[in-house]
Amino acid sequence: MPTGLPLTSRLFPVDRYPDDQALAAALGKEGVGLTPFEARRIATLLERNPTLTELHIFNAEWSEHCSYKSSRATLKEFLPTEGPTVIQGPQEDAGILLLCETADGDRWGIVIAHESHNHPSQVLPTEGAATGIGGIVRDVDCMGAHVIAAADPLRFGDPRGEQADRTRWIVAGVVDGIWQYSNALGVPNLGGDVAFDAGYDDNCLVNVVALGILRESEIIHSAAPARAAREHYDLILVGKPTDDSGFGGAAFASVTLDEEDQAFNRGAVQVPDPFLKNVLLMHKANEAVREAAREAGAVVGMKDLGAAGIACCSSELCASGGFGAEVRLDDVHVSLDGLLSEVIAVAETQERYLWAVPRWFTPTVLRIYNEDWELPEIYEGARASVIGDVLTEPRYVVTHHGETVCDASIEDVTAGIAYDREARRREWTEAEPELRDPDDYGAALLRLLASPGIASREPLYRFYDTEVQGHAVLRSGEADAGVLAPLPGEPWGVALSVDGNPRYGRIDPYAGGTNAVAEAMRNVAAVGATPVGMTDCLNFGNPEVPEAFWEFREAVRGLGDAARGLWLRDYPGRPTPFVSGNVSLYNQSAAGNAVAPSPIVACLGVIDDYSRCVTLQLKTPGHLLVLAGARRDELGGSAWYEVELGVHGANVPRVDAEVERGLIHGTIDAVAGGQVRSCHDISNGGLLVTLAEMCMGGWGQGTCGAKVDLDRVAFAGEPVEPARERLAKLFGETGGFVLEVEPAYVEDVLAVYRERGAAAMVIGEVTAEASLEVTAGAKPLLAVPLEAMQRAWGGGLSEALQ
Amino acid sequence: MTQNGGPLVVAVVQFPGSNCEAETAQALRAAGCRAEIFRWNREPRELDVFEAFVVGGGFSYQDRVRAGVIAAHEPIVGRLVGLAGEGRPVLGICNGAQVLVEAGMVPGLAGGAVEVALAPNRMTRDGVVVRRDYFCIWTHLRLGCAPERCVFTRAFEREAVAALPIAHGEGRFLSREPGLMEELAAGGQVVWQYCDPDGSVRDEFPTNPNGSTLAIAGMSNPEGNVLALMPHPERASWLRQVPQDLPGRYGAERRAAQGDVRRLESAGPGRKLFESLAHALQPVG
Repeated sequence: MPTGLPLTSRLFPVDRYPDDQALAAALGKEGVGLTPFEARRIATLLERNPTLTELHIFNAEWSEHCSYKSSRATLKEFLPTEGPTVIQGPQEDAGILLLCETADGDRWGIVIAHESHNHPSQVLPTEGAATGIGGIVRDVDCMGAHVIAAADPLRFGDPRGEQADRTRWIVAGVVDGIWQYSNALGVPNLGGDVAFDAGYDDNCLVNVVALGILRESEIIHSAAPARAAREHYDLILVGKPTDDSGFGGAAFASVTLDEEDQAFNRGAVQVPDPFLKNVLLMHKANEAVREAAREAGAVVGMKDLGAAGIACCSSELCASGGFGAEVRLDDVHVSLDGLLSEVIAVAETQERYLWAVPRWFTPTVLRIYNEDWELPEIYEGARASVIGDVLTEPRYVVTHHGETVCDASIEDVTAGIAYDREARRREWTEAEPELRDPDDYGAALLRLLASPGIASREPLYRFYDTEVQGHAVLRSGEADAGVLAPLPGEPWGVALSVDGNPRYGRIDPYAGGTNAVAEAMRNVAAVGATPVGMTDCLNFGNPEVPEAFWEFREAVRGLGDAARGLWLRDYPGRPTPFVSGNVSLYNQSAAGNAVAPSPIVACLGVIDDYSRCVTLQLKTPGHLLVLAGARRDELGGSAWYEVELGVHGANVPRVDAEVERGLIHGTIDAVAGGQVRSCHDISNGGLLVTLAEMCMGGWGQGTCGAKVDLDRVAFAGEPVEPARERLAKLFGETGGFVLEVEPAYVEDVLAVYRERGAAAMVIGEVTAEASLEVTAGAKPLLAVPLEAMQRAWGGGLSEALQ
Repeated sequence: MTQNGGPLVVAVVQFPGSNCEAETAQALRAAGCRAEIFRWNREPRELDVFEAFVVGGGFSYQDRVRAGVIAAHEPIVGRLVGLAGEGRPVLGICNGAQVLVEAGMVPGLAGGAVEVALAPNRMTRDGVVVRRDYFCIWTHLRLGCAPERCVFTRAFEREAVAALPIAHGEGRFLSREPGLMEELAAGGQVVWQYCDPDGSVRDEFPTNPNGSTLAIAGMSNPEGNVLALMPHPERASWLRQVPQDLPGRYGAERRAAQGDVRRLESAGPGRKLFESLAHALQPVG
């Protein structure tokens, strides 16, 4: 029952400010980002002035970060979220995709979550990136899963641009944050990608993806169980003692970054602790509680504390079950005396969870955390505490020091608010440049290989533990996607890839969306796995700017169209679903520099026999090289334009669903057929860079060369002048694959593509000479020694970041 | 507990911050040992029923002060020192190796004294430091002592080459005492050294991935029943764990098994370490 304690006198007098400007000033003084309209709306809902605690709770709950108030309608309009591969769609902390059914009749699911930690990483890179990992693994763990992998799509400013020093500091800090947190926790890194672009000078993007594995029967929902209608349920807060860190974090993520405010905003970044998290997560305390609950037959709910802390977590956990909640702030374990009610309620202290458990099971939970696993000994002040009750009435009540500091309809608290933002088309005015052959193709290739966008990522990913847990099949660098075999003794493989190219998004946000989907799927297909679902993280500028909101809508429309066009291989016509995701808006500095529209997609693939997965390194001289996918006049947004000409162009690659589907599904068939020795998709830098990378191998340990005849490369579309055609064939980033195939099987592989209606042709062979040689018929175009390529590509990133 | 020829029981010691206990126990089981995870806050005497011990990888106590040093002062490690003194085998992997070194168990010349350090990685090539700190990569190792010299190497051939991954920030064996490392090598306590795929030990990065003195990857006590090993054998206990493009014999074996999940589920190069232990524990007669 809700308490009968008197309402606190600490109110925010909305009714004292009839004038919007004065109200806005008063809200600003209180440190909340609510608009005057929103503040009045809160007073209307409550039928009185809000308490300060309520003001801060609504401020967090109604922030863009928590409520998706600008984006929700667009996501709903365009993105498919259901399908035969989905165990759970985007309604909770993470989505769940079907991995397999094992011989014991159990269905196994892969839990996937995708978040951004952009603003915090810009101001405090190490802590920002680390807490990004910390938050995403909690999202996965709280579904009842064991966390098996993390991956990071990273976007940084130009390392040689105007803010080079700052960018390099951010890169180093972010990579430190990622490895220090996930290595210590014991979660292997399964890949990620890195892009550099001057548009990220003021706003780096740090996205994080995490995967977990569970049995379908053991899912724990982020909701108070239905049984709470009949028996008493306690709310138990577990983990670090609450402090004032991250106070205002959700709201902080929803504003533009101002240079002057950055120092001030550091207080809004949370403090990471992988050590405490390790004791909670990695086969330790949380798992012990879940096992005990199963044994005792206790039906429980669990949710992690993220944005807006206790308030958001407790209200959503209970509201999702159709209940209310009462939270007693006096019972919350804290690390500082004298914290204000609103701080305890919405601070984003890391490493915390909330359980809803039947009261008879409460002593077991407290014993497991506080005694068996000694949380108070592991971290000063950490423990499990009963902090409230699940209510049958749909109220959200918070008490502190003998007063009621919040008493609202729980629906009003969690439902948020929605806006219908204006979208206005932004025209791209840059035209395609005039093209001519470079003086020296070989030298141009080496410049591309050394450029920060293409150079080997080894200097970064060697910081990441790829081996912990022992499931790795393919790691960062080895192949286009990372692959794990997460069920010991079972043949199932899980593949993950992330992608999103800012240069396409800038020219055409719709193409940015379609290409992100296609490229993430291609990466998964290149190792032989079948895409079964995706997540998205949508990083854009200020949605209140109509052009920025148009970019957002266009990109999401692109994601949706590609998801439908590139449907599930095993269920023709059924879209590849988005099962989770995140929207990060206001990636814009006060000076108005917004990031290029950056929809970033993570694609999950499944393969029923991981032993067939291939890497991208050429294996044996004499094998033939098959190109799947004709080249087109699509150099727009290419690395070639950026590195060699310093332009964007206009002809960004178009995803033709039918062609692309044939290529992706054909490649899966070909690799699964066991006839492919290595495979690499065509992306950054085009066909020539793809070939160079196959010679070098992902770890720069290759020993073979390749010889290719450009005249055998198919070119589709309207005829263009010869120089443009040559450059488009060599450097255009039209989707496609290069496969290494034993001569005896080449006809089979070509037939696989033919059946799928996709163009495929032999363009050359693997050679014992350690060099990459390209001719146009009899005319030599380039011959670059392997060692020179390895030097340029291997050293490019370190050089740019020094 | 030995049950008359029954399964052999190994304790995998777990500290707060350990993160390899599950796969280490699995690798032990695959090699024929019975393995049980042993939580740090249990009674130290409860260790006495186990026949051998593995202190696994991770970041025990968050690497506070220095990697391994806090765990090394835990009561259960005190008990481990005693049991090792009775001759029971103890293997420290990665962070576990750091714990054994900090506890003075390795090289263990004078009881309990810390005689070598596992210093922060410092990768050098041509005399130039090219990188520092944490590094994760597959390495090759050559057996530096006679196989029978150490409990954990008896299943290997003389001068065997194995491939195991490393993943650590502090793995550089170092001593302030001139000549000590050479002495340990001469005495057969340098058990594993980083090498090229063909077995030649070299001091240059990346062959020597962390700048370790004499390219030492694993070191034992004088009796050979305690081994501090920086690379991870549990991450190389199945052939599927070996990278496809790894140069040398193991990469070739991995590629030859392409498409054959049964072969990939068979033993990898690290399995023999645990098999050596299983063999050593086999009741005589």
